[in-house]
Amino acid sequence: MSSLEELSHRHDDQAKLAESDTVPRGAPILELRGLQKKYGLVEALKPATVTFLAGEIHAIVGENGAGKSTLIKLLTGVIRRTAGEVFWCGKPVQLATPNEAISRGINAVHQEVVLCAHLSVAANMFLGDEMNRYGLMRKGAMEKAAQAVLDDLGFQLPAAAPLGSLTIGQQQLVATAKAAMRGIRFLIFDEPTAYLTRQESAQLFRLIRRLRDQGVTIVYISHRMEEVFELADRVSVLRDGTHVGTRLIGETNEAELIALMINRSIEQIYHKEKVVIGKPIVETKGLSGPGFEDVSLTVRSGEIVGLYGLIGAGRSEFALGLYGRQPVKSGEILWEGQKVEISNERKAMDLGIALAPESRRDQGLCLNLSIGLNINLPVFKRLSSGLVIRKGDEADNAERQIRDLRIKTPSRSVLASAMSGGNQQKIVIGKWLSHGAKLFIFDEPTVGVDVGTKAEIYRLFGELLKRGAGIILISSYLPEVYELSDRLHVFRGGRLVASHDYRAGTHEDVLTQAIGI
Amino acid sequence: MSVDTTTESAPAPRKGRNILLGLTLFGLLAALWLALGLSTHAFWTPGNISNLLRQGAMTAILAVGQTFVIITAGIDLSVGAIVGFTSVIVAWLLQAGVPLWASIILTLLMGVAIGAFHGFGIVRMGLPPFIITLATLTSLRGIGLLITNGSTISINHEGFTNFSRMDFLGVPSLFWMVILVAIPAFVFLHLSRFGRYLFAVGSNSEAARLSGVNVNRTIYLAYILSATCAAFVGLLLASRIGIGNATQAEGWELQAIASSVIGGTSLFGAVGSVHGPLLGAFILATINNGANLLNVNSFWQRIITGLLIIVIVYFDQLRRRGSR
Repeated sequence: MSSLEELSHRHDDQAKLAESDTVPRGAPILELRGLQKKYGLVEALKPATVTFLAGEIHAIVGENGAGKSTLIKLLTGVIRRTAGEVFWCGKPVQLATPNEAISRGINAVHQEVVLCAHLSVAANMFLGDEMNRYGLMRKGAMEKAAQAVLDDLGFQLPAAAPLGSLTIGQQQLVATAKAAMRGIRFLIFDEPTAYLTRQESAQLFRLIRRLRDQGVTIVYISHRMEEVFELADRVSVLRDGTHVGTRLIGETNEAELIALMINRSIEQIYHKEKVVIGKPIVETKGLSGPGFEDVSLTVRSGEIVGLYGLIGAGRSEFALGLYGRQPVKSGEILWEGQKVEISNERKAMDLGIALAPESRRDQGLCLNLSIGLNINLPVFKRLSSGLVIRKGDEADNAERQIRDLRIKTPSRSVLASAMSGGNQQKIVIGKWLSHGAKLFIFDEPTVGVDVGTKAEIYRLFGELLKRGAGIILISSYLPEVYELSDRLHVFRGGRLVASHDYRAGTHEDVLTQAIGI
Repeated sequence: MSVDTTTESAPAPRKGRNILLGLTLFGLLAALWLALGLSTHAFWTPGNISNLLRQGAMTAILAVGQTFVIITAGIDLSVGAIVGFTSVIVAWLLQAGVPLWASIILTLLMGVAIGAFHGFGIVRMGLPPFIITLATLTSLRGIGLLITNGSTISINHEGFTNFSRMDFLGVPSLFWMVILVAIPAFVFLHLSRFGRYLFAVGSNSEAARLSGVNVNRTIYLAYILSATCAAFVGLLLASRIGIGNATQAEGWELQAIASSVIGGTSLFGAVGSVHGPLLGAFILATINNGANLLNVNSFWQRIITGLLIIVIVYFDQLRRRGSR
């Protein structure tokens, strides 16, 4: 018996609570009949009827705001349904509280890791469920058990290390391992690979398949079509709060799913404008700083320069260095041919550099402030006469970005936290459109963003290029940088290790260079 | 959860909430005044109302300054100590024969300097706001006691001490001082870009920094404003009691924080207004005043104030959750 199974049997007594609730593999374990959720007058989820089978991987796809988060929250008891029925193993259930969901064996792994960064990996895995003897915690035993589980899963993570010392991707794996230990029967993944590297994703997929083989039902929410086709047995599509269909994975294809999701056909997601490439906007020569070394590259007007690499390869650090957030140790920056020192963010902004940073939550947005304030934050100076803000201009600028970027909100005074991932990303981009920069740095702009919004963002890139701007596109998603970049640079260990022209080299070449085999 | 552009109902905009809270607090204040007016004849007398406005005025000014700091997700524990300390400073300067106008300006500058020191400690030394302002709280009282050698300095300047007893248009001069502070404070917080920056820094300082906001300067500004408001209150207190004494205004920082929180300011930052703490301060003053008139044991006043903070902030939390 593997250590994972051993540990999950610790919860057998808990599972006995619902012992009669067993169903054979392939039979319905959770049925939603006319499930509906309204917030006031807004129908976040229109009556949906979906059946989840025991031991299947059931993917759910849909654009941002299609109702996926609402569905997860309903299933995990975070919010209560407005109408409809839920059957667990054939019996009607309430699912009114998170505790009820957990006690039935329904668990979720969220996109953003919600664990304690200062505790060790092991302590996090056992959090709320510590091993005790005589009322004292058995720290050593927990570390050993946690390490056994991690090794067993092939994660190669240290159980004794503080969680905060791991990358976001690794923390995600820890969160998954934690959920897997809890004797679960129904596990929901909300875009688990958003922050994972390719190897980490592969590890995660192995774990998911293994859980499925043990009879666990997996609900897998993702924007990445190829993952859905790689992993899922069945797929359900949501659009504007409506469940528009469920398909066996063998009986559908990407085009059909996308058509269902957005109700319009996307000719090509990776729409690339033909723009004449002009003069260099920025050149770095042997630029070194914290986390990157000796980086020389050029961005010209009308050009997308892609930076690909694993997480932690130094791409974001380079971007922060170029933006003046981190001090540059050596090397030079030429801005339109002139040598410049960029010692802080405002100097970068004044030159005409815009940065849409990696983490919307930590760096991009003031989440508990309004959309309007977020959009206007870089340009308040321009919107003020003396000390006082011109209210009319403030409103106009925010409204214009909301309209141009099609940010789905009833009003600019809605808090940014109320928006879905894709709309939040649009807010971040909107900040910089009104600022009017010449060089745009987009760091992972499409993480957690649906297909429709992705296409909109890519079209926006084209607009910026046509206006003569240059773009640095940082992405861990190879198809994206590969298809869009006029020039693609590969980072590894803080250094620029290879460069390709537009679509030169294969995916495998680029990946090999990034991993460094 | 995002919603359709066609629906107008979804998440409650913050502005509406602010106004709602302001109205509720105003209603509470009016209800208190009405209830006290019905239960004791002494309440609605010109003398008592003037007294109430004087009592509330100083806390109100402190609370406005405190609110700037709390919006940046900080805290200023030193304001009570600054009041006591600056009362000593102004008394000392007047005793030394410095002209009144110069004494006032120098005392206010002392507030600026203390606030700048707080900013320095937070920005340059990386100390948590709680710690640096706690440190100045005890140190300033100590310095004040050293200057006065543990006693008080009396103020013999008639014009200065008469000021706090003066009325203008039937309203006490101290209350006019609240208006004098509140109007520019309102313009600063709600109409100027620096106000927006305070909110942005309190919400997410990294996002603010990457958006080109000078985060350090914003933090300096918040603490300087708070300390300067406190120095201003120190002047008013010295005028009112006619002495400089470093041990005065004990615990006023907590009154200021309580007023601010009752007025809807979130201790997590990025939520707050100017009118909220003003109402909060006068609600607290009314409770104290009413309790005195009704002969409620002053120990009970403290308990009631504590309970009131819990109830008001709890209802505010409920409303906030409800509007999500």
